[in-house]
Amino acid sequence: MSLLIGALTIGFILSLLALGVFISFRIFSFPDITADGSSTLGAAVAAAMIVNGVNPVVATAAGFAAGFVAGAVTGTLATKFKINGLLSGILVMTGLYSVNLHIMGRSNVPLLGEKTLTTYAQAIGTTVLGGRTSLNVMGWEVSTLDASVLGLTFVAIALTGVLLYAFFQTHLGTAMRATGDNSRMIRALGVNDGNMIVLGLAVSNGLVALSGAFLAQYQGFADVQMGIGMVVWGLASVIIGEALVGTRQLGFIICGAVMGSILFRLLVAIALRLGLNPNDLKLITAVFVFLALILPSLMRKFRSRRVRLSHA
Amino acid sequence: MLELRNVTKVFNPGTPNEVRAIEGVDLTLEEGAFVAIIGTNGSGKSTLLNAVAGTFLVDSGTISLDGTDITRWPEHRRASLMGRVFQDPFTGTSPNLTIAENLVLAAQRGLPRRLGWALNRKAKDEIRARVQQLNMGLEHLIDNPIGSLSGGQRQALTLLMATWLKPRLLLLDEHTAALDPKSADQVIALTDAVVTRDRLTTLMVTHSMHQAANLGDQLIMMHRGRIIQEFRGAEKRRTRVDDLLARFEEVRRADQLDETAAEMLERTYV
Ligand SMILES: Nc1ncnc2c1ncn2[C@@H]1O[C@H](COP(=O)(O)OP(=O)(O)OP(=O)(O)O)[C@@H](O)[C@H]1O
Ligand SMILES: [Mg+2]
Repeated sequence: MSLLIGALTIGFILSLLALGVFISFRIFSFPDITADGSSTLGAAVAAAMIVNGVNPVVATAAGFAAGFVAGAVTGTLATKFKINGLLSGILVMTGLYSVNLHIMGRSNVPLLGEKTLTTYAQAIGTTVLGGRTSLNVMGWEVSTLDASVLGLTFVAIALTGVLLYAFFQTHLGTAMRATGDNSRMIRALGVNDGNMIVLGLAVSNGLVALSGAFLAQYQGFADVQMGIGMVVWGLASVIIGEALVGTRQLGFIICGAVMGSILFRLLVAIALRLGLNPNDLKLITAVFVFLALILPSLMRKFRSRRVRLSHA
Repeated sequence: MLELRNVTKVFNPGTPNEVRAIEGVDLTLEEGAFVAIIGTNGSGKSTLLNAVAGTFLVDSGTISLDGTDITRWPEHRRASLMGRVFQDPFTGTSPNLTIAENLVLAAQRGLPRRLGWALNRKAKDEIRARVQQLNMGLEHLIDNPIGSLSGGQRQALTLLMATWLKPRLLLLDEHTAALDPKSADQVIALTDAVVTRDRLTTLMVTHSMHQAANLGDQLIMMHRGRIIQEFRGAEKRRTRVDDLLARFEEVRRADQLDETAAEMLERTYV
């Protein structure tokens, strides 16, 4: 049971990453791999501040802000300096590696015994449940800590999802979606499309960093390596989400990205439980995304061949 | 109100692919003028419109609108003054956004984009009312992605978008060329109606001699990056399709003569 709850919680936390990747890859069709660096950045900033006694809510917000800035830098390189988008992301991600080490002061910052959002959640959960240390869910024994962390994560992600959806219904958000869809049109309507991309990547990486900040507090440490492969992971979640909801409507896609993240995390947890070597995880994720990317065109080819055969 | 002085644009300068797309173009538009532009393929008609719209900055010359020098203004800044409809129906609309979302973006042309709701009830009612005036039955589909519509429907909506806020200048680049004859007629009728109603100053590139002869009060003929003839006022009203065709034939002959002369010179001297 605690395996399931753990997978759910991490799935929720990483769904912020999926939402960030959704913004850059899907809304702007911008292959932004800054996320590998900004995920760690969010964790590093939050962890360093928490260790120095800063309120964890403030520290988490600072993590978001740091990711926001990192994304804006990538956007600026790509639009103002006209550097290839992929390369802009690589440059910022590479630079962030050193930045993250400086922020943390070493390659790993443990958060055990510190006041984090996790300890906050536990305190709230204990108050709500009247001091019990565990509760009974359909015959399963669940610790108050696990339940309250999951509950609070859920609230945080639901809130972010709703905010994001609302944002994309505003004048600014609509202009952003149109920028990714048809930049010539949006320029002809008087919008500086470069600014839209900068802001969009900033929001995207802010969400990714937020997810990193949550993850560090949940697992109890920040590590300079923890962001590696995050982009591909987020992309996998988005792809699964799109398959789950099967529409292009924004609200559904946002829900889909969250569901995709959770489902993917559950599948991974099960696979690991069944004896999958953790070292193979990133390779398998990469192969999965590869297959998901080529599958639609393969299906089309297959179908058209079938049609041709049936006509022959 | 629009004034172009000695405007030149060269693509790929200094390479074997160098194209002098427009050269030393002078053009003055009076307030409320409806100007049709015709010309051979590659004569620089689109380049002229793009130069005015700011798709690129020109190499030399000046462009001013209402007395303001806009030569160095970026495209998105000029958009506050201009509405545009492109040749390709896919260029003027955002396919994955709904009809209503596309129109509300156009209703904010040139304004800063803020955090207010894009589509409240009032905005939607106004959109429905104005879409209804197109007489295409699209008012029931305003929540559908615009990408699901036909080319003619999209061009009609793009025209509505370009003129939603009255532009100082309306730029139309062969906006019916990609349409079937019936849709083309429909969009031309809409164009004529809105230009007349709002007395819009309009630059319209067209491939159709028929449109050129029958629409507008001024006609410009381009060839090899230059304006070779202008018809205005009474002269323009007298001009018929046959006159235009005859003038084109003249241009073609002159070109051939040029080429034969060049060949002769080459044979003699090289
Ligand atoms: N972005 C560009 N890069 C390089 N060359 C260009 C570019 N745009 C136009 N040209 C060239 O400039 C010349 C004028 O092109 P333009 O599109 O203005 O012609 P046009 O009069 O609109 O022709 P058409 O009737 O075919 O639309 C052509 O030779 C074209 O190949
Ligand atoms: Mg053209």
